[in-house]
Amino acid sequence: MLQFDEIHGPDGVRPHYQQLMDRLTGLGPAELTERFAMLESIFRTLGITFAVTGHEEGLERTWPMDLVPRIVPAEEWAHIEAGLIQRVRTLNLFLEDLYVGEQSAIKDGIIPRWVVETADGYVREAHGIGVPAGARCVVSGVDIVRDGEGTYRVLEDNLRVPSGISYVLENRVAMTRVLPVAFARHSIRPVNHYGSSLLRALRSAAPYAAPADPTVVVLTPGVANSAYFEHAFLARQMGVELVEGRDLLVDDHRVYMRTTRGLDRVDVVYRRIGDEFLDPLVFRQDSLLGVPGLAGAARAGNVTIANAMGNGAADDKGVYPFVPALITYFTGEKPILPNVATYLCWEPDQREAILSRMDQLVIKPVAEAGGYGIVIGPHADDETLAATADAIRANPRGYVAQEVVQLSTHPTFINGQLAPRHIDLRPFVISGETIEVIPGGLTRVALREGSLIVNSSQGGGSKDTWVVDDVATNDESSSTSKEAIGAVSPR
Amino acid sequence: MLSRHAEDLYWLGRYVERAEDTARMLDVTFHHLLESPPAVEATAWRELIEILYLDQVFEGTLDRPTVSGYLVTDTNNPGSILSSVARARDNARGLRDRISTELWEAINVFYLELAAADLTLGVEQRAYALLGDIKSRCQLINGVAAQTMPRDEGYRFIVLGLMLERAEMTCRLLAIRYARLVNTGERMGFHAWVSVLKSVSAYEAYLKSHDASLDPTRVLEFLLLDPAFPRSVLYCLRQVEQQLERLTADGLQTDVGRAIGRVRARAEYCDVSSIAGEGLDSFLEELQTEIYQVADQVDLYFFRSGADLQLHTVQSV
Repeated sequence: MLQFDEIHGPDGVRPHYQQLMDRLTGLGPAELTERFAMLESIFRTLGITFAVTGHEEGLERTWPMDLVPRIVPAEEWAHIEAGLIQRVRTLNLFLEDLYVGEQSAIKDGIIPRWVVETADGYVREAHGIGVPAGARCVVSGVDIVRDGEGTYRVLEDNLRVPSGISYVLENRVAMTRVLPVAFARHSIRPVNHYGSSLLRALRSAAPYAAPADPTVVVLTPGVANSAYFEHAFLARQMGVELVEGRDLLVDDHRVYMRTTRGLDRVDVVYRRIGDEFLDPLVFRQDSLLGVPGLAGAARAGNVTIANAMGNGAADDKGVYPFVPALITYFTGEKPILPNVATYLCWEPDQREAILSRMDQLVIKPVAEAGGYGIVIGPHADDETLAATADAIRANPRGYVAQEVVQLSTHPTFINGQLAPRHIDLRPFVISGETIEVIPGGLTRVALREGSLIVNSSQGGGSKDTWVVDDVATNDESSSTSKEAIGAVSPR
Repeated sequence: MLSRHAEDLYWLGRYVERAEDTARMLDVTFHHLLESPPAVEATAWRELIEILYLDQVFEGTLDRPTVSGYLVTDTNNPGSILSSVARARDNARGLRDRISTELWEAINVFYLELAAADLTLGVEQRAYALLGDIKSRCQLINGVAAQTMPRDEGYRFIVLGLMLERAEMTCRLLAIRYARLVNTGERMGFHAWVSVLKSVSAYEAYLKSHDASLDPTRVLEFLLLDPAFPRSVLYCLRQVEQQLERLTADGLQTDVGRAIGRVRARAEYCDVSSIAGEGLDSFLEELQTEIYQVADQVDLYFFRSGADLQLHTVQSV
């Protein structure tokens, strides 16, 4: 099977990595080990951690960031960016069409109604709740992988409460401290405007009746949540309040927060809790995280909930295979970023084909996230495959099958040396009046050798991701850069 | 500011102050007993537990290893130093977007070091150094807060919590240890009064403003009323009043304003020579009660807004 490495091509180090590799080689293993330790201590002191559910020792782990950044050259990035904008624009249109529009995509036979309505994240109560400017996915995290030929493909869409952007920003800050010289030698697109872009998008999605300077809050489940650090980070970056459900109340279909000076009106809730916990009057009654009456306030047009309720109808893994057709339907364009080849277990012909070659496919439950429940055929034992086959027969809508994508590898600092590890990329896309992609995104890396599961909840790490504009490739400039490194670095 | 944030800041101030006071009082008791007859030991430990307001929950023998373990490392004791610092850190974590990064780091590093240290061994073998470290870490946190936080609502809630905690602590020290020394007519002399003063790090300050004769009434006056000493009850109450005046939107014409005005005036205009005799116990008891009332009013005024409204909404559904 073909294997694509991001740094080492058939002709040696790829040109856009040359400078970085020169610098890393120049520093030497001992120095690299020291800088790697520095990274760990930066994240520890700052308290940048995440919780791994179900792991005793990992209750609060320091964020694992790798020393070797990933570089995406500008021309590759332009392709990715255009593909993401096209895709997210489509998904916004599809959701708006589904919940407040004519449902034309369904009526015109682009996607079956039953597939949409059986999606785990489809929310009937969201019908009739519009979002200004149709920005239903204010923040999307679209997972992209690179296959054996080096083609970028979309692996999944995350349109509910995608997380990871704070790590993009913190990784960048840490990288500038640990490898300042390597950093200075590249022209790297900045990412730290994320907070201001997000705030602008959220404000543009405020209800029409809201004041010109609408009040935005970030709604978090609380300090025990694994992504709490990120929630606090975003509130700080935007300069808005970080609230919990108990800080909000709804009176007469208006949302207020409790403050030391009484009650303050809230116009936009950037929520980082799932639909099912949002409002105990509509969803789970046992939820203490949400706010009674919040959905009703949104329906009354008094508050915008971002991302909108019911977005799970568009990022369901069973809906995913229809996204390329939806792109053509809604935009009239050819999809720029292809999907990974995906088969539908509920189509009898495809199901038989899937069951006959399960050891060659990846089987994914449609409703799980975070890498849970995925069976990678070539790595699974017979028992697991048989159990999975039974599960598929019992609930065909519950699973999809995909060709194994041999994720690209990237040299990664493991035990004092560089070793190839599989990576993916989660860029972040903001929808407001326009759609904007933050340059780069979160590169996740499977730290276990050979593993294809990159999720941080499954022991994955991350890399700073550089979108680099001008990469000096000729020998002359790289030799001057070496002198300059000597001049700048005291070591 | 969000009520929840205000409440967490207020308690952050209280927890850090509590950890510092606990360390200091433990340190003083510890070293006082090294030079005292064994007979007074149990009394001294019981008083310490009472001053720290833990007499309702403490179950154990009144000896050095039990009490000091309980006060320093016991996580079942919500008032232990380790618990206080852990709670302060929990609050600070939830306040990451409200407090300076420097303040968060000071608290986080303090907690991580405490949690990693062998505190039991530390108390046993190097109590002076350990408790000294704890005190100076707490002072560092307050210093970092003072140097890095804008003088906005958030900072004021920290100071409010800290000063209320400190006022309560000094008041209980007087009500329990001072009162016993006076009431039993015990001729403890110099040694005992030094330990009372040192419990609130007032010994040097007292010597500077008075002299080494350590007259009980003057000690009382100093700890209760000295306008310049930052741990006297009056100083703390004035600080509380000052913070409240700026924090309340409607000034002090509120329940919380009246509560602090009442107790501050009771302290400020008391006649020390008369209460130093018979009326001491009842005076200090009333003073304590009124300080607790201020805390209750702070809770109602700042942290519970809209509580009535939500009740109504939920019922109407």
